[in-house]
Amino acid sequence: MEPTTDEVSQNMFNCQLCSLSTPFTYYGQKPPNTRAIVLLEECFVTKDPFSPDRERFLILGSNCSVCHIPVCVGAGCSIFYTKRFCMQCVNKHMDQFPSQIQDELAKKKRSSKKGVS
Amino acid sequence: MSERRREGPSWDWDSPNCRAQMDQIFFRQHDYIQKGTTEHKEFWTFFERFQRFKTKKEMSGSGVAEGHRKEERDRKTTIDLGLPKDYDGRYRINISVCTKDVEERLGTGRSDQRNRHSSSGPRSQEIAACRLALLHFLDFNQRQSFGKLAKLRSEQKALPIYQYRDRIVELVQTHPVVVVAGDTGCGKSTQVPQYLLSSGFSHIACTQPRRIACISLAKRVSFESLNQYGSKVGYQIRFEGTRTPSTKLLFLTEGLLLRHIQADGALEQYQVLIVDEVHERHLHCDFLLGVLRSLLLCRPDLRLVLMSATINIKLFSDYFNSAPVLQVPGRLFPIQVMYQPIPAEEQPSRSEKLDPRPYLRVLQGIDQRYPPEERGDLLLFLSGVAEISTILEACQAYANHTKRWIVLPLHSTLSLAQQDKVFDIAPPGVRKCIISTNIAETSVTIDGVRFVVDSGKVKEMSFDPKAKMQRLQEFWISRASSEQRKGRAGRTGPGVCYRLYAESDYEAFASYPVPEIHRVALDSLILQMKSMGLGDPRSFIFIDPPPASSIQTAMTYLREQGALDPRGELTSMGSLLAQLPVDVVIGKMLVLGSVFNLVEPVLTVAAALSVQSPFLRSAQHNPDCATARQPLHSNQGDPFTLLNTFNAWVQVKGERGGASRKWCRRRGLEEQRLYEMVNLRRQFKELLRSHGLLEVLEERAPSGGGRGQRRERLTERRKLHQLKREHDLAEGGKRKVLRLEDGQEVDSGSDTDQDRRGKEATGGQDVDIQEVKFKLRHNLSELQEEAAASQDLSSRQQSLLKLLLCRGLYPQLALPDEHNANRKDSEQVFHTRNKQGVVIHPTSVFASDPEVLHVPEEGNREGPDKGDSSRHQLLAFVTLLETNKPYISNCVRVPALQALLLVANSLDSNADCTRLVVDGWLEVGLTGEGALNVLSAALTLRADWERLLLAQLGQGTLGAGGGSRAKSGGGLGVPGVSRKDLEKLADGLVRFLLYTEVSYSLCRLTGLQVQNLYVGPQPQTELSEGPAPNPLFPGKEVKPDPIKGGLRVTNYFTYNCLTDSKDLYSECLRTFWTCPHCDLYSPLTPLERMSHEATCKPPGEQQPCQDKEGEGVKAASSSSVAGLTRVYHCDVCNQDLTLTSTEILKHKRQHMHSGR
Ligand SMILES: [Zn+2]
Ligand SMILES: [Zn+2]
Repeated sequence: MEPTTDEVSQNMFNCQLCSLSTPFTYYGQKPPNTRAIVLLEECFVTKDPFSPDRERFLILGSNCSVCHIPVCVGAGCSIFYTKRFCMQCVNKHMDQFPSQIQDELAKKKRSSKKGVS
Repeated sequence: MSERRREGPSWDWDSPNCRAQMDQIFFRQHDYIQKGTTEHKEFWTFFERFQRFKTKKEMSGSGVAEGHRKEERDRKTTIDLGLPKDYDGRYRINISVCTKDVEERLGTGRSDQRNRHSSSGPRSQEIAACRLALLHFLDFNQRQSFGKLAKLRSEQKALPIYQYRDRIVELVQTHPVVVVAGDTGCGKSTQVPQYLLSSGFSHIACTQPRRIACISLAKRVSFESLNQYGSKVGYQIRFEGTRTPSTKLLFLTEGLLLRHIQADGALEQYQVLIVDEVHERHLHCDFLLGVLRSLLLCRPDLRLVLMSATINIKLFSDYFNSAPVLQVPGRLFPIQVMYQPIPAEEQPSRSEKLDPRPYLRVLQGIDQRYPPEERGDLLLFLSGVAEISTILEACQAYANHTKRWIVLPLHSTLSLAQQDKVFDIAPPGVRKCIISTNIAETSVTIDGVRFVVDSGKVKEMSFDPKAKMQRLQEFWISRASSEQRKGRAGRTGPGVCYRLYAESDYEAFASYPVPEIHRVALDSLILQMKSMGLGDPRSFIFIDPPPASSIQTAMTYLREQGALDPRGELTSMGSLLAQLPVDVVIGKMLVLGSVFNLVEPVLTVAAALSVQSPFLRSAQHNPDCATARQPLHSNQGDPFTLLNTFNAWVQVKGERGGASRKWCRRRGLEEQRLYEMVNLRRQFKELLRSHGLLEVLEERAPSGGGRGQRRERLTERRKLHQLKREHDLAEGGKRKVLRLEDGQEVDSGSDTDQDRRGKEATGGQDVDIQEVKFKLRHNLSELQEEAAASQDLSSRQQSLLKLLLCRGLYPQLALPDEHNANRKDSEQVFHTRNKQGVVIHPTSVFASDPEVLHVPEEGNREGPDKGDSSRHQLLAFVTLLETNKPYISNCVRVPALQALLLVANSLDSNADCTRLVVDGWLEVGLTGEGALNVLSAALTLRADWERLLLAQLGQGTLGAGGGSRAKSGGGLGVPGVSRKDLEKLADGLVRFLLYTEVSYSLCRLTGLQVQNLYVGPQPQTELSEGPAPNPLFPGKEVKPDPIKGGLRVTNYFTYNCLTDSKDLYSECLRTFWTCPHCDLYSPLTPLERMSHEATCKPPGEQQPCQDKEGEGVKAASSSSVAGLTRVYHCDVCNQDLTLTSTEILKHKRQHMHSGR
């Protein structure tokens, strides 16, 4: 009746920005049983808990391509645009992103402020 | 898109052929998404939407490239991120799909060879379009799932308990016992198990007082711990469970954990035990805590977490050696408390109905003060069902008038469909007014309640040990309950609580409710303690010890029931009863039934008596229901009505499957109860089997049929499993919006409404999930056979079954009052040993048909023998409950003298056995010759019955191993129970029950008579000089009874101890008698005669040999034998045979041998 280790020392993914924390089962670009599918970045992946199908994977996050912190894929923490960028780095280098993305982020900022006030 | 169509004339995205070609590339077998799956279907739907969206976008056009260039000019930063110049949505997706190999193999995707062959294969353009759509589809799915995960995590973090997460884990790691106290909404029940699980503990059990909570918590926690489709989190309740070897967290009921401890004393299988809702102080929970307290001594590694509302926390902490307490604030919105005591003129006096005015004033006040747009429902707490219907009526009249309320009742005797209604939503501008018992205080949680009205009253069950009666009485609630009720107003927003009592009343309330252990009969508890080897129950350290008198009462009762021996140790019957999760009386029935091969009907009756009645009260006054029910009624008693109902239901199920729902509705039956019965019945059967009380039939070859049929069955099972999964996934489902009329149905069982609900509950498809579960769990044809075996009982079987029920229910017997024949039907009175003047519950069959209990006028009788008859009857009953009157319910009628002689614990006689006193309260007056015959016959039958029962209990197997010898028995080797012995006994009992034509008087003893009943110990006579051998039971001794006087012939029969007794051997008692078996003819005393009868057996029995047993006996018992047989279809002979179960076994074995 030793505490099983699979949970404690189990690989945990922790988003550095929102502190979302959940175990991952695979890190890399080719999750198991995905056949033709390849990921374009090294990702923290787990089995999709909301799908009855065992083989469905769910990407939790990856490391920011600029500052290398782990961030989740949530829209508030990172964006993917050919590479992963954490929100801190996006803000720092906003000008290099296409206007579509800039507009989108600006809009989001406005609406979230409205939501708070 | 239009252009594309033109260029590739043969490419059409809507054509199945074109899609099939894409499927070959992207959705092959073994691909992430495969052709034919739901996801595949979803993709093509997504594809269509995606194409439409793209076209729309293309048409509106955009200056993407330009915009980007502008950005480039403004660039100031030092690092170049190396982003592409032109924006493309494709760059936002971190997934790619490589299909090059397939494309090459298929030779598709060549943009240059447009006209090659006449083939219409896709070109690279189409493949690219499909690939892009697929990427967006995959990305969309990723976002959806991640969104769910993120939402889940943020909700978890928002719970008040989240801040204490690390602290809780640390405490549990460092202390054997931890108390977590938190109020409603703090999240302890869902979160604490998860915290422990994710910090490395496994093998966690979490107990709940209610079964339903086990299921819903397991569902919720497995979802939250991202294991919705795994079995890491499971539950286990009475009939079902989801536990597998990989289950790490198990939700189970308190009772079930206790049973686990019974089986595995150290509870090795668990590392952590969480006992939730300890503050509710249920009997099982209090006991469980006591057991765990001592278990911790031998399991120092075990971790125990008690979870409680913030009530009386110190009690729990102190009980466990000052265990650390962690208090978590609840999440309740502010609630305004208004004290509105009921003015004196509106106070109901006793026996009067409640005055609805104080309640109506609250409704009016809400209507005046709060605009209807401001939503919020009202929850009104009353003490009982009668109170609810009074106030319901008044509120409905008010609602009718204002059209602003929908009034709904809520209590446990409503049908489940009706109970379910309180969760539906009121239309805009209308509020729900739910009038409830305290079921809504903890068990049922209704969201959206803003107003609470608290009457301050509760009806609680208590046990009166003197009258051996349960009592339902109204009390003031405790402050803890009062706070709990108030809290129901603040779950979803700020609320108001109207207390219909004064603040000073509130202050005077008890702090806490009286724990169950102080209110109820402790029979089952003590039995369980005994079987767990916990020693003397009086010295067990309870958290709050029950009164010693309660324990004493229970011990005495268990001794009377034969579950404990005179020294208070468990008998073999007792240890068996302790394994059965039912009342002692029901358990006894089961054991007795299995001995006589009347097991099928007994199983049904025992199950039926252990669940709530399936007959809905509300339907009783519906003439259509009453008519439809009529054929189910049996005037033998309520258990027989239940038996008929169950059997008829099984037949309907067999013939028409799901149509049983309608069948039930017609008859005002709650089908859920029948499902519970069939489940419980099966559990009983398995228990009996595992204790060797039932033959284990060899695994049935899936009853006949070739491989084709078997495959068909398999397919059906798979389909059923699929249906069940779909149902489980369609979590909760959407709530229906109520209509104003919904509150108006005073008559409950309205057809259309329940029908509508049944369908809705299963999400529109006409799937009855209960039916699905039923089919998965039971083999219908087997069940039909079992039902058929107990359907048309012969009168012999029926009377034997009645005797078994009576012996099971003993000492719960009631005597009809002698004047009942002259009273109105509604005024029939009965007496039990401890309580005079009880009445039959109106739901009983005898309430509407009491004549069958009256002693028929027997011709030209006169003089002093006026009360004499051979047709006196008694009622054996299951419950005695006092509400406004003491009611007995679930009754069965039995012939009085025969039943008493066969089951009573104490029979006392005078010298010539013409006067018998039974259990010190009933007096039987017999005349002359008949008296001795009947008594002697009863003694012989009882001895045989006891011997066979003991042999069976000790031996454990029956029939199959006919030759084996039993170990138990009073010093003498008891021969193995043979089928023949049993049949002979059954036959004897039946004859005794049906053909004893002795006229006798039957009445209760008066108080004065009871005081002067016995002669008491006598001075030494010649008899007691040396212990005389007991001729009736060789090997035992007849001793003078030290208290009653007279001679103790058996443990239940004391001869000649009644005060009017004459001298034992006085000549006048000798009468000439001829033995029917030998040629003896001489004057004998009653005792001498009985002893001769006991030893002088008819020649056939002394030499049990087939030939001598002869045709006569066979013929005599043929009808009872016929009852024990059933039709068996032998696949080998391809014949229908009528055989007993043993014969079936023999028959099968014969084939096995010849087959070799
Ligand atoms: Zn994040
Ligand atoms: Zn970064």
